[in-house]
Amino acid sequence: MSQAAPALLSVRDLKKYFPIRGGWFQPKKFKRAVDGVSFDIPQGKTLALVGESGSGKSTVGLMILDLLPPTSGDVLYGGRNVVGRRGSDWLAFRREMQVVFQDPYSSLNARMNVGEIVSEGMGIHGIGGTQAERLRLAGELLERVGLPAGAIDRYPHEFSGGQRQRIAIARALSVRPKFIVCDEPTSALDVSVQSQILNLLRKLQREEGLTYLFITHNLGVVEYLADEVCVMENGVIVERGSVETIFDHPQQEYTKRLLSSIPSLDPVHRKIRAAEAVGS
Amino acid sequence: MAEPLLQVENLRTYFNTPRGTVRAVDGVTFSIDPGETLAIVGESGCGKSMTALSILQLVPEPAGYIESGRILFRGKDLLDLRWDDMKTVRGREIAMIFQEPMTSLNPVFTIGRQLVETLVAHDGEATTGWQRAEELLARVKIDDPRRVLHSYPHELSGGMRQRVMIAMALMNRPALLIADEPTTALDVTVQAEILSLMAELQREFGMAVLLISHDLGIVAEMADHVGVMYAGEIVEIAPAAQLYRSPKHPYTRCLFASLPSRQQRGKDLVTLEGVVPDPANWPPGCRFAARCPDRFAPCPSTHPVLAPVDGAQCARCLLYPAAFPPGVPVQSPEKETVR
Repeated sequence: MSQAAPALLSVRDLKKYFPIRGGWFQPKKFKRAVDGVSFDIPQGKTLALVGESGSGKSTVGLMILDLLPPTSGDVLYGGRNVVGRRGSDWLAFRREMQVVFQDPYSSLNARMNVGEIVSEGMGIHGIGGTQAERLRLAGELLERVGLPAGAIDRYPHEFSGGQRQRIAIARALSVRPKFIVCDEPTSALDVSVQSQILNLLRKLQREEGLTYLFITHNLGVVEYLADEVCVMENGVIVERGSVETIFDHPQQEYTKRLLSSIPSLDPVHRKIRAAEAVGS
Repeated sequence: MAEPLLQVENLRTYFNTPRGTVRAVDGVTFSIDPGETLAIVGESGCGKSMTALSILQLVPEPAGYIESGRILFRGKDLLDLRWDDMKTVRGREIAMIFQEPMTSLNPVFTIGRQLVETLVAHDGEATTGWQRAEELLARVKIDDPRRVLHSYPHELSGGMRQRVMIAMALMNRPALLIADEPTTALDVTVQAEILSLMAELQREFGMAVLLISHDLGIVAEMADHVGVMYAGEIVEIAPAAQLYRSPKHPYTRCLFASLPSRQQRGKDLVTLEGVVPDPANWPPGCRFAARCPDRFAPCPSTHPVLAPVDGAQCARCLLYPAAFPPGVPVQSPEKETVR
């Protein structure tokens, strides 16, 4: 796209092939989960990666975070390649890049209290000299994400889904990252809670200049907060552009099909169910 | 005016828990006409699924039980039926499809056997059953229905499994289909296919549908009438077009305003402060009062009734004088809070 700002994160020709088991003497087969994906995200912006299950969007997120080694391709963060780093070099990237996962019920350790969850990363990265200092910082973070002061001594099961997602966000922020992968962060939540989390993510972006990769299948969320949209199908990006370009002038068949599948929110002008008289 | 197919009157479904009696469904009333679609929409824990399960008397026992109310199906109260008679209603007259098509199919039997079983259970013949099963699989737009008859559930995709569930529900040509979040586990393009299939079959079979959903978009696509549930009660019920054009209850308004969209870009979305009250201890007044942007003096102490506020549109909210319970003096809010 035509951004003048330098990219904070660039992905170049990223591929992930998973071997499919065949017979001993049969040629090896591969599932091309991600097959040559490239994009740039400028500092402070939000790129949305949309697609249906199996499109490879979450696999891209995992490779960017070095949670899954790519088959080939590069992930450049601030111009330096993330792939294949080890030791302290690797740790430095980990501090800059964080993640918020979809399911706040399984992404928080049930045996740690909230203070431990939020301060653990700080300990690893040497933030705050003492554990007491780290817990003080954790308390501040919890307050910033809108959790009550008493939350720090409690355990994840004592919180609702929306509150747990706030804990996960506080944990991500604890090491002061510049880039966060948000992998379906609101799809397990009710709409009135989803709006709280989206407001919080936007506020943090404004205040901290955070850069987001937003992985989602919720096109309403994409329209609301994305700066750029990449549509994935079968491991490749089939179309990319601004929200206006993608939603108002889709070029690819797949994008058109995806958009025409979104329910209309207007019982008088239905898209999916054939138009009929509705009671009024 | 035809007689309603289903009338639910003042249904109360309670659960005994260590924390006390949880009033999950607390005085729900609605009716569905033959061939009509009523959607019940609400957030998790509002009681919408328990309302659906109560109709078929599938509430998890022994903790859960129907405390009181009437469920009139074609004029007779299902709560008066013996267990055996209720079994003939389930599946034959009222069928249900669930959210997760993987867990609702039996993994050790073929699709064909499970389809035919529903017919045999209701005195159908197995031989004609196979033929009907194949026809119905074709009808729900499964390519190669004969192969699918001999497949096991794990061999099918999520969308295919939900088509099979719909075919199974249709085996006995029920008059009412209860669909509890039928597309929540599916991708959006598959969801669109399933919804349009459901609408098409509903017309063809003349079925009424009770749709349970948390998704206002799906409800807009499918429903003739919509009931909004909050904290075990229906807080607003109206013809779909009217509800979407001008929602009357503050909770309904908040739900619409919290949806992200392009028009909201750059602005904060509307959120609801606080949490749903404890179902073991509902507050005495309006259950939404603590979170309501429009609350005024009587709200925390006066429990509103569901009353007509605009033609067929009913709301359970004291902003509307009709919602004051009998014997309680009507009060008006400050002018500027009335929208």
